[in-house]
Amino acid sequence: MEMKTIPLNDIDLNDRRFCISYPLEDEALTESIREIGIVQPVLLCDASPLIVITGFRRLASAKKLGLENIPAMIRKVRADEALLLSIHDNLGRGLNTVEKAYALEKMIGAGFSRQTIFGVMALLSLKPHEKVLGSFVAIANEGRPLKDFIIRRGASMKSIEYLLKLDAKERRGIISLLSPLHITDSLLREILEMLILIKIRTGAVYLRGLRGASDGRELKARLKKKSYPILSSMEKKFLAMKQRCALPPHIDIKVDPFFEKEYIDILLKIKSENDVRAAIEKLKAILEDGYIRSILELTQG
Amino acid sequence: MNSPRAEHAPSQGNIVRDCPGTKDHICCGYKTIDLIEGCALSCSYCILKAYLNTPAITIHDDIPYITSQIDGMTGREARHILRFGTGELSDSLALDRRYRLNRPLVEFFGERKNALLELKSKWAYIDHLIPHLNPYTIISFSVAPQRIIDEEEKRTSPLYKRLKTARKAQDAGCFVGLHFDPIIIYPGFEKDYRYLIEDISRILDMDRIIWLSLGLLRFPPKLLGHYIEHNRKNLLYGEFIRGEDGKMRYIKQQRIKVYTMLYKMLKKKNKGLFIYFCMEREDVWRKVTGMTVRDDDALMTLFDERIKHLYGGKI
Repeated sequence: MEMKTIPLNDIDLNDRRFCISYPLEDEALTESIREIGIVQPVLLCDASPLIVITGFRRLASAKKLGLENIPAMIRKVRADEALLLSIHDNLGRGLNTVEKAYALEKMIGAGFSRQTIFGVMALLSLKPHEKVLGSFVAIANEGRPLKDFIIRRGASMKSIEYLLKLDAKERRGIISLLSPLHITDSLLREILEMLILIKIRTGAVYLRGLRGASDGRELKARLKKKSYPILSSMEKKFLAMKQRCALPPHIDIKVDPFFEKEYIDILLKIKSENDVRAAIEKLKAILEDGYIRSILELTQG
Repeated sequence: MNSPRAEHAPSQGNIVRDCPGTKDHICCGYKTIDLIEGCALSCSYCILKAYLNTPAITIHDDIPYITSQIDGMTGREARHILRFGTGELSDSLALDRRYRLNRPLVEFFGERKNALLELKSKWAYIDHLIPHLNPYTIISFSVAPQRIIDEEEKRTSPLYKRLKTARKAQDAGCFVGLHFDPIIIYPGFEKDYRYLIEDISRILDMDRIIWLSLGLLRFPPKLLGHYIEHNRKNLLYGEFIRGEDGKMRYIKQQRIKVYTMLYKMLKKKNKGLFIYFCMEREDVWRKVTGMTVRDDDALMTLFDERIKHLYGGKI
């Protein structure tokens, strides 16, 4: 295949039938092209106007920089071959979730058999399963806010599946709520799981009480109160009892986080015999005041 | 009943085995016979959805191979009366009209007279078994309010049919078992369970219920995602925590409250009813019943006493 210099005007840049790149804007690539030009020629399908098979990002940068010509190779291929070329050409760089979604959704659109699609899914490190495929198709058909959120957060499939369970309005609300916060994916997953649980139980997503949360932990705490009211109230009671005990820093009382185990742990940090005496005195005092009994009652249901 | 594709499996390994039970909880020492793996019914909460990854049904129908394993187990057991059941990896009755696997087992237990066979089901048809039934077979039904049956137990028999069939088994000379399992917490469940208990006491001879189990909904964590995916509102209404055994359970305070309510309602109907908890903690047992059941062996002893009380010297 011969490399040619092709005028940008001869290429239909709006024809994205083989495009799986997302997002197309790439500042680093644009800067690189500004510095040294396009190193790797783009691949075009022999048609009039020419159709892009690979190199969408390079072409977007070239257009932004006002380049008139670009290096390209032209091939005469069928549409299904062109799509596979596009996917395989991009495999090496590692596709993000939205790009994988585009690749699979376009393969379905092009009429590829499930066997071939599942083969590509395996190459994309995805479980070749109809349910997984369905989730990716849903991502491909979603709007830009969700796609950008997924990319920006590096959201896991579990988090994405939760987001997909919400309607567009609810999703917009949650994305705008979560976007300013710095949260890990595991925290994101927990937050979304609680939101979905509330939605399943009550039929509505609970957003009103979440506005103004300063960080992910506060958001989670507010949601927990709503989705785990019994557990939250037990935690509150336990903390209040502990506070009333006025424990010194070297004594701590711990309970099972789910109040499942019937015993409690009393932890002592001891440096001297005097520390032991002081701890015994303190424990004796809170025992006589009934605090230990109250805490045990809480853990024993 | 229409059923999925069934495959006959070769006889190998342990088809008769100990019920796996669960860590840090009291289990009843049940023995399971995996006559059939997979289920033709479609309960939304079913743990088989997590454990079995195929909708196909596997049938182990080499009865001499199975009965030799049962003999082996009863022969090795010196202290307790063993209870065997075929309802762990399948429903005991749903496919029996087609495959007729229970009859030889019913006859086997009737001949041996040293252990009990429990056929546990949500499928109310035993007519083909009635001529062969004997007191060593317990016909058992899982029961739940009709609302839960309608919404969560698709393709199963309605409550009144289960209870009528249980009565038919009692009239044929069998004891029956009832399993309130899973008990599901949803808005208004208290009233529905009160009606359920009323129905039971009206239709059945309460003195011929050999045992009744209470088990609140519990499931492996991976099923939580499954319930969420399928919007199982009833199943997700309560507050779940991860128990010491790693399973998702209602919070202990709620479990004690619900068990206490049901225990009192049932005991009010029949003081002598033998009620046990499936996979519960020792402290929950104590709080609800006032009894200290320290371990699995203690619960098996309670079963022994119950069976001896009902069978006298005939077992």
